[in-house]
Amino acid sequence: MSAHSHIDGQLPHEPEKATLEGRNKVLGFWLFLGGETVLFGTLFAAFLALRDQVGEGNPTANELFQLPIVAIATFILLTSSLTSVFAIQALHRNHVKPMIVWLIVTVALGAGFLGLEIYEFYHYVHEGHGFTTSAFSSSFYTLVGFHGAHVAFGVAWISILIAQTLRKGLNLVTAPKLYVAGLYWHFIDVVWVFIFTVVYLMGKVG
Amino acid sequence: MAHAHAVKRYSGLMDWLTTVDHKKIGILYLIAGGFFFLIGGLEAILIRIQLWQPLNDFISETTYNELLTMHGTTMIFLAAMPILFALMNAIVPLQIGARDVAFPFLNALGFWTFFFGGLLLNISWFVGSVPDAGWTSYLPLASPTYSDGHGVDFYVIGLQIAGIGTLIGGINFLVTIINMRAPGMSFMRMPMFTWAIFITSALILFAFPALTVGLAALMFDRLFAANFFEVGNGGNAVLWEHIFWIFGHPEVYILILPAFGVISEVISTFSRKRLFGYSSMVFATVLIGFLGFMVWAHHMFTTGLGPVANALFSIATMLIAVPTGIKIFNWLFTMWGGSIRFTAANLFGIGFIPTFVMGGVTGVMLAAAPADYQYHDSYFVVAHFHYVIVGGLVLGIFAGLHYWWPKMFGRMLNEGLGKLTFWTFYIGFHLTFFVQHFLGLLGMPRRIYTYQDNLGFNNMNLISTIGAILMGVGTIIFLVNIVVTAMRPKDAPNDPWEDGRTLEWTISSPAPEYNFAQTPLVRGYDAYWKEKMDGNSGMTPAEPIGPIHMPSPSILPLFMSIGLFIAGFGFMFSNYIIGAVGLLVTFGCMFLRSIIDDHGFHIEPEELEDKGVKA
Amino acid sequence: MAGNHPTTENRQKRHKVEGSQKHVISYIFSLVLTLIAFATVMAGEVNTTFTYILLLVMAGLQVYIQMAFWMHMKDRGHLYAIIGILSGVFVVFTMVIMAEYWTWW
Repeated sequence: MSAHSHIDGQLPHEPEKATLEGRNKVLGFWLFLGGETVLFGTLFAAFLALRDQVGEGNPTANELFQLPIVAIATFILLTSSLTSVFAIQALHRNHVKPMIVWLIVTVALGAGFLGLEIYEFYHYVHEGHGFTTSAFSSSFYTLVGFHGAHVAFGVAWISILIAQTLRKGLNLVTAPKLYVAGLYWHFIDVVWVFIFTVVYLMGKVG
Repeated sequence: MAHAHAVKRYSGLMDWLTTVDHKKIGILYLIAGGFFFLIGGLEAILIRIQLWQPLNDFISETTYNELLTMHGTTMIFLAAMPILFALMNAIVPLQIGARDVAFPFLNALGFWTFFFGGLLLNISWFVGSVPDAGWTSYLPLASPTYSDGHGVDFYVIGLQIAGIGTLIGGINFLVTIINMRAPGMSFMRMPMFTWAIFITSALILFAFPALTVGLAALMFDRLFAANFFEVGNGGNAVLWEHIFWIFGHPEVYILILPAFGVISEVISTFSRKRLFGYSSMVFATVLIGFLGFMVWAHHMFTTGLGPVANALFSIATMLIAVPTGIKIFNWLFTMWGGSIRFTAANLFGIGFIPTFVMGGVTGVMLAAAPADYQYHDSYFVVAHFHYVIVGGLVLGIFAGLHYWWPKMFGRMLNEGLGKLTFWTFYIGFHLTFFVQHFLGLLGMPRRIYTYQDNLGFNNMNLISTIGAILMGVGTIIFLVNIVVTAMRPKDAPNDPWEDGRTLEWTISSPAPEYNFAQTPLVRGYDAYWKEKMDGNSGMTPAEPIGPIHMPSPSILPLFMSIGLFIAGFGFMFSNYIIGAVGLLVTFGCMFLRSIIDDHGFHIEPEELEDKGVKA
Repeated sequence: MAGNHPTTENRQKRHKVEGSQKHVISYIFSLVLTLIAFATVMAGEVNTTFTYILLLVMAGLQVYIQMAFWMHMKDRGHLYAIIGILSGVFVVFTMVIMAEYWTWW
């Protein structure tokens, strides 16, 4: 009946779904991601509507964006998505140490991505592409910035989870949290796929 | 697991501030939503007093704009939705045979964020700069250029905070209904009210994020000089209309679908008949929810989207009349041949049907894009949406409150006063809004603070004002009823209407904190009625009596919401230190919630017997 | 509920056989898709419409790989996850049409 009988014992297969609380958490998080899809979709829609509104004398998307930086950022985030998969795989095998290591790698890569993004924004502002410059710039910074804020939140969240797991170990309470954080991290990467496609690459073409 | 962790149990005010019990949260929603309903109602009556005669100077044009904006915003976001959340919190877990909702902590957080968002919005009255750009806050009127001062800031930030609570509630109820139904309760055995809440929650999940982005964009425009809607810098004002209505049209179905659910329960119970066409009712609800996302631009026919878009949205809108019509006929056929009891709840239920049909018919009229050019921004539109929102939703809420009051509070509302509430409110409603159709057709525009003499508007506006006052009287009678009822002893039996069909009527009134001592086994649609018809005195339990796990109360949801409230003020007045402090409080509470494991506590079988549960 | 222990242990054994090569292959696929997208744009001189379509196909494939394999959406028990994400995508689709056709005229 109770969730507690498992604690400190052998963890079941897919520990994140072993308790009702865990199943609720995973399902609720999937639905939340459905809502996040609409949230980012609206930001994309606003960007698409306003992307050509650059204004006189301001740098256009084509002049502004430097694909090498974007490519590096993409590579970093994609790799971090892979390392978080490895972490969840270790979780399913009840291998705590490898899981922690993979999570630390994930967080480090996430922080690296954030650093690049900050550098990129700093560079754009110097090029005369500030938040208030034009409708294009406002919608660009809002879309990419919302994504960056999600990355930052994910970095902080997973760090807290790492600390928790080190203290409490892997059990039926921590497992769903880690699993859900993994889903969140993949979702962030999925959003980035659309950002580099629609914002950067299409901006370079158009 | 015989002995669980000792958990602090609070009493008095602290109990209410820390509660994670869905029934208590339901009551909190009802109190807060009811309070905002009274404020919104007062604003409505002030508006009607201003309009009772031509060239009246009861209030200034500025105040009129503020009252108009706050009336709409308050009624939709702070009164109607919370009272629906009150009903869904109080009833849905009971109807599906669950001990709790999926996320009790988040449930409390949802309430407190709504409450502090609403509080922030209404504090604008005391600060002296009130939102005045209409409840839709169209640009460029709501832009920093044309609305300087902090009025629209209150709107943007208040709704943003309240919206978080709504989104949380939507996810919570989706997961609750998917994962926590009692054994045997398949989807097609769920009560109609639960179905309605299920679809409503899905609409909330997919509509509210659009509002979040819209409000964030408007906030960036206002506070940080962004250019989303600043036409001079390449922004687009129509974009706001789109985003607002992509959220806004599902929002009106978020409001009306729960009312459909309530009416289905009330009419079926008081006709002593199974709901006619249950599966078509479910189908119609799902279809309305789906179509609700494809009709938003019918609010924008006169914007100039062009004939293709207008034709598409016109047809899609008219399509919605089909599932709605299915529902209307199903209710009529449920009553047909039933032994109908005209209780106060059922009066509201039956009164709902013709009123809502009228609102629906004017809806189809408005859906004809060419005709809409004539109706647009006239009192005809005002009459239409009050027929569907007040005549639909508010009558549904009254029906639900009279019907479920004993289950929420353990006392039956006074039937005589209830019927008096119905007749005054119902007659007052039709007096107020029926004439407004004709005012609109005569050419009276909406959102004006006064009108000239000799335009033929005078008598109908006077009638409308008298009706509004009568609606106010009806509401006061309802309040009197609550007070009178509260002074009587708690004596409602499990099944006070004696014709209860669903699981909530199998347990005591009010429900114990664990809801079901033993999870019931559901053997069919209308689970309790089926047992009654098979000659059983109650439900067959699906499990032996055992310890019941309960979540522990927590003060964190309150502080998280207070943090957002403080941060809202900080950012509004460009005091970023205070803003950061507020966010720090919120994130700090989230951190605490993450690291402190909530083991909850157990209610042991011996305690259940002490509380008089039959073994 | 603790009743089904023997079966979970069986499944656990089966699960361990499934290695991480599958994920490395997904990763390489994603990298290749990304590379094609970037290379096409950096090369320039390609028809704009064709590039747009190619970019969207590459993005769609990559998102499919990540959601199906890394987020386990292809596995059993993900019906509501699929419904949730697809409903969100449907709403987003209407909004993209709005942004492209109904904001400027």
